[in-house]
Amino acid sequence: MTFRRMLVAIDGSEASERAYAKALELAALTGADLTALAVEGPLPVYAATIGEVDEVKREKDAFFAKLAARARDEADRAGVGLAVEMRAGHAAETIVRAGTELGADLIVLGHRGHAIRDHLLGSTASRVAERAACPVLIVR
Amino acid sequence: MSELALAAILAGAVLLASTVSVELGISVALIELGLGVVVGNAFDVGVPEWLAFLGSFAGLVLTFLAGAEVDVPQLRREWRASVSIGLVSFGAPFAICAAFAYFALDWSGDAAKIAGIALSTTSLAVVYAVLVETGLNRTVIGKRIMAATFVTDIGTVGALSILFVAPSIWILPFVGVSAAFVFGLPRISPWFFGRYGNRVIEPEIKLAFASLFLLMWLGERAHSHAVLPAFVLGLALSGHYARQRKEQERLRVVAFAFLTPLFFLKGGMNVSVSALWANLGVLGLLFVAKMLPKLVGVYPLARRYCAPHVAFTTLLMSTGLTFGTISSLYGLQAGIIDETQFSLLVAVVVMSAIVPTVIAQRFFQPNAAEEAGREAGAPGRSGAALETEAGS
Repeated sequence: MTFRRMLVAIDGSEASERAYAKALELAALTGADLTALAVEGPLPVYAATIGEVDEVKREKDAFFAKLAARARDEADRAGVGLAVEMRAGHAAETIVRAGTELGADLIVLGHRGHAIRDHLLGSTASRVAERAACPVLIVR
Repeated sequence: MSELALAAILAGAVLLASTVSVELGISVALIELGLGVVVGNAFDVGVPEWLAFLGSFAGLVLTFLAGAEVDVPQLRREWRASVSIGLVSFGAPFAICAAFAYFALDWSGDAAKIAGIALSTTSLAVVYAVLVETGLNRTVIGKRIMAATFVTDIGTVGALSILFVAPSIWILPFVGVSAAFVFGLPRISPWFFGRYGNRVIEPEIKLAFASLFLLMWLGERAHSHAVLPAFVLGLALSGHYARQRKEQERLRVVAFAFLTPLFFLKGGMNVSVSALWANLGVLGLLFVAKMLPKLVGVYPLARRYCAPHVAFTTLLMSTGLTFGTISSLYGLQAGIIDETQFSLLVAVVVMSAIVPTVIAQRFFQPNAAEEAGREAGAPGRSGAALETEAGS
């Protein structure tokens, strides 16, 4: 089986780093184009002031900019061409939507991310696996 | 319960709200409001005077911050297209909700006006969060929705300040000092900041607070509310804060760490769960009275100015939170509405923050990249959008 366009979700968690390493391996083996998707997660919903939203957005932007830079460095070292996309929103929905929009034939993600809501409402990985239009590789 | 014991409980609630907010990604204001309901109903305590006073001031600070956060250049570019949406978004629910409360619920004339004002709002912050999250804040439609929201809020704060004014000599100093601050403070701010800014003793925050306290006092003497001058003063200083981001952040820190939690806790503590339970039908009807005119009034204008994201725009314009709560608290504190009426209004305001937002995000969320491409490439783009950009 070969892949031409892979999407890997990154959020800085240990699980996502393992998933990213595996995605780099697979991309190097198959020559697939690799896109790393950093989902910033939702901003505070039902906020009372713009300041509350702005602050969280700035923190997330700074965190994910560092994450993207690190992902690029690792891809360079592995000799894999990498595109990085940053999107805000609910993780599972955003990953599934990005997979469809980018025409991914494989989505790679860790089994557990940062969000506590994952523990309460079910993991992002299981929801992506349920809804994605392409194969999903969940890395433990 | 002693006041110190209550203060300790409230401090714990403030801490809990902020940590839960970070973990769950829900606005701290909504959690504080909810915890206020729990504290007020579980411990059966009233709102002490110190909390009522600080909460009122915090409401004014929130209003000032809301004005200071407006992107004025963006507003100038989009106001023509947005003014009709914003005015209808304020006027239609104001008229319908006030009429419904007066004729159908037999509320007094002033209480009906408070209902109209509280339920006419659109939440700048709720709308902003959704637009930033979708990336639409960078598109013409996103900017237009923000500008329309601002117009609605001007209507709300204007109505709250003007409709209850009792003619007296105090109107003159209230209006005069308001105008002096609005025109004078932006001019002296660069000098004041240059001489006294960037110090831990924060003279610039004290200048803002002293101005707001003075407006609050004069507003009370004039039987009005200082929300309009506070909002406009924030707006007038928004350019200054845009240049001095750290100063704005420090103001936010002071407000969020101490003041605004007290405002929302106070709001929650005044909500009676038993009154809500006994009036569930009225609650539902008031919610419909807010949503229906918003939806029916805004939809045709959104078709003209925000196509193809008509439902999304209409739903976002139906949200409300901060100004709805401020208006309701003003009504309660001024003795215009009773605890049951207040509980109903705040519950509807909170429902209107959640329900339309969830529906808009779940079923009508546009793709920002597509929208940006559509605006750049122009196929299917409305003439109104082209006109506005050409004029900007």
